[in-house]
Amino acid sequence: MGDCTNSDDDSVYHDYDSGDDEDQYVELQRLEYDTFISKDPVITVITKESLLAAQREDLSNVMEVLSLKEHHARTLLIHYCWDVDKLLAILVEKGKDELYRKAGVTSVEHDNPASSKLSSMVSCNVCIEEVPAANVTTMDCGHYFCNDCWTEHFIVKINEGQSRRITCMEYQCDAICDEEKVRTLVNARDPNLAEKFDRFLLESYIEDSRKVKWCPSVPHCGNAIRIEDDVVCEVQCTCGVQFCFNCLSETHSPCPCFMWALWVKKCQDDSETLNYISFHTKHCPKCHKLVEKNGGCNLVNCICGQPFCWLCGEATGRTHTYAFIEGHSCGRFKEETKEKNERAKKDLFRHIHYHNRYKAHMDSLKLEMKLQTSLEGKILALEERDSTNREFDWLTKGLFRLSRSRKILAYSYAFAFYMFGEENFNRNLSAEEKLIKLNLFENQQQQLEANVEVLSSFLEEPFDTYPSHKLMLVKIKILDLSRTVDNICKKLYECIENDLLSSLLKASGIASYKSTGVNKALELAC
Amino acid sequence: MIDFARVQKELQECSKDIEKSGIKVTPKSDSSLSRLIGTIPGPVGTPYEGGIFQIDISLPDGYPFEPPKMQFTTKVWHPNISSQSGAICLDVLKDQWSPALTLKTALLSVQALLSAPQPDDPQDAVVAQQYLKHYQTFVGTARYWTESFAKSSSLGVEEKVQKLVEMGFPEASVRSTLESVGGDENLALEKLCSG
Repeated sequence: MGDCTNSDDDSVYHDYDSGDDEDQYVELQRLEYDTFISKDPVITVITKESLLAAQREDLSNVMEVLSLKEHHARTLLIHYCWDVDKLLAILVEKGKDELYRKAGVTSVEHDNPASSKLSSMVSCNVCIEEVPAANVTTMDCGHYFCNDCWTEHFIVKINEGQSRRITCMEYQCDAICDEEKVRTLVNARDPNLAEKFDRFLLESYIEDSRKVKWCPSVPHCGNAIRIEDDVVCEVQCTCGVQFCFNCLSETHSPCPCFMWALWVKKCQDDSETLNYISFHTKHCPKCHKLVEKNGGCNLVNCICGQPFCWLCGEATGRTHTYAFIEGHSCGRFKEETKEKNERAKKDLFRHIHYHNRYKAHMDSLKLEMKLQTSLEGKILALEERDSTNREFDWLTKGLFRLSRSRKILAYSYAFAFYMFGEENFNRNLSAEEKLIKLNLFENQQQQLEANVEVLSSFLEEPFDTYPSHKLMLVKIKILDLSRTVDNICKKLYECIENDLLSSLLKASGIASYKSTGVNKALELAC
Repeated sequence: MIDFARVQKELQECSKDIEKSGIKVTPKSDSSLSRLIGTIPGPVGTPYEGGIFQIDISLPDGYPFEPPKMQFTTKVWHPNISSQSGAICLDVLKDQWSPALTLKTALLSVQALLSAPQPDDPQDAVVAQQYLKHYQTFVGTARYWTESFAKSSSLGVEEKVQKLVEMGFPEASVRSTLESVGGDENLALEKLCSG
C-alpha cells in the first residue's frame, strides 16, 4: 500500500539516501511555493475605510486622461460600470462628445444667469415663484431652479434609490447633477440622507463594477473583494471566508459554477426523497396514505384495511391465489410507467453513488481538521526529543496538501455526476466518446483518491515515537506524496479544463489549480 | 406635501389660454386640489376628432417631483390606453416625468399620444393587434367609440328614443330608462339589454 508512489514513473526522486539531496529537495519545494505566490494575481480586500482609496486610482486615471473634475469622472465611471478600458475604448471609437452625452456629463461653461443678475429676482420654473438669485442653483447643463425645488427633487430621487443617476429637473435634460451641489443642498435639510447619498455613490464602485464584489460572509464582515483579471477564480477574504468570486458560493473547483448550483440544489431539496417515494411507495386507493411494501406477495393491505394490487395500485378483493387476485386483473403491460420507474431508479442510484463519495471525502476533511491539533502535539514532542531538528514544515505542508486535495476530490464527484449524467450538458457526444472521456477522468480521479488515502494514513502515524532514521523515512514519504498529489491535482484540472469542459454546451470555466490554495486577498495599500 | 401654491398657479395659467388649447383642468371638489379632472379635445384629423375626453387626475404627495397619476374616464379605443380601465401608457407620466412639466403639458402629451399611437409598446394588446393588422377596422372602431362615448349631447332626446325603439324596445320603458340614466343612450341600452 505504502509503495504506490514509488512505483509512480512520474516521480523523479527515487534516491533519498543522502541528506544533502533531502535538503535540496525541501529547498526546491520552497522555491516553487515562492514562485507560485509571486505569480498570483493581485486580489485586494476593500474595507469601508479604504473604499474611497480603492476608487481613487480609476478616478484619477480618468480625470487625468480627460482633464475632468472629480464629480464628472465619477459620473462617467458610474455610467460605464467602472470599466476604464471600455470607457477609453468608447472615447477612441466614438469621441469625447458621445462618451459624455451617454453618461450625462456636460462640461461646457455656461453663463450663470443667477450670478449675472445677482441682485435681481429670478423665476423658478418648478414652483413658478420669483426667488432671489442667491437662492438659485445652476447645474453644469445650464438649467437653474430654486434651492428648495432642487432639494425636494434630490430627496425624492435618493429615496427612490437613484442616487447614482440624479438627472436635471428640466424636461428631457439627461445631465447628471453635480454631486457636490446635491450633497450641500440635501445636507442642509437632512444630514442623514446626505450621508446615505454619499454611501450610495461610494458603493457604486462595489455594486456596479464587474471586478468588485461584496464578501458573502454571514454575518457580513463589511469587506468587498477586488480582482484584477478573470472573474472565474477563488478568493479568501481577510475575514477568513473562502468563496468562488464568480458565483459567490463556497469554493467548488474543479466543479463549474452551474453544475455546483445544481448539485447544491439537488442535495438540499427533497427531490431525491420524492424520487424514492414515487419509486418505492403507492397511494392507498381508499385512504390515499402512502404505502410501502415490506414483503410478501403483490396483494397489499393498507392499515385502513383496504386491500390493493401492488402492481397497478387498484383496489381489489381480499382473497387471492398465486396467479389471481379476486375481482382484479392488471396483466396489461404498460411500457411507459415501467420505463419511468426504471429511469427514476437509475437516477436515484447514480446520485446516491456520487453523493456518498462526495460526502465521504467531506466527512474525512472534517476529521482531518482535528488532525491539525494532534500534529501540533507531535511536533512539540519531536522538538523536545531532538532540539537540533526544528524543521517540521513538511508536516504542516503535508496536512495542507491533504485537506486541499480532499476538497478537490469531493467536488470532482459533484462534477462527474453532471458531466457524465443523463442531463445532456454535452454537445452531442456519442456514447463511445463519452465513455472514453469518463475513463480518462476516472483514471485520474482514482489515482488521486489512492494517493490521498496514503498521505492521510502517513500523517496519522505515531511518528513522534519513531527513531530518527524511521522518522526520516516518514518525512520522505510525506514529502514525496505531497508532491505526487499536487501533480495529480494539476493534471486532473488540466484534464477537466482541456478535455471535458470544452465539450459542454454551456461555456463554463473553473478557477485554475493553485498548489498554494485559494488566493488570499491583501489589504489595500493606501 | 403637494405644492398647492404651484397647482393653483397651474390652474390659473391653464384657464388663460383655454380658448387656444382647448385643455381644461378643474378640481373635483372645492375642498381639495389633489383630485382634478382634465379635459382634452380629440386631435383634428384623427378618429378622435370632435370628441371631448375626460381624464381623472390624482396628485401624489411628492407632486411636482413625482408624476401625476392620470387615467381616462371617457372610454377610448387606442393602443396605448386600456379600453377597460382607461390606464395610459405614456413615458412622460412615468420615468420621463420632469418637475418642470405641468398638468397642462402632461395633458398636451396625452393629446399628442392620441394623434400618434405607439402600437409596439401597447397598453391594450387587443387594440394594438387591430391597429397593426386591420388598420381600417381600427379607425372605424375608434371613431365609433368617439361618437358613442366622447360626445355628450350628439342626439336630442326624441332621436335617442326613436333609435332605441327601432332596436325593438317598448317606448314606455325606453323613456323611463333614459330618464333614470340621465339621458345617456349607451347606458340606457346597457340597462335595457340587461334587464
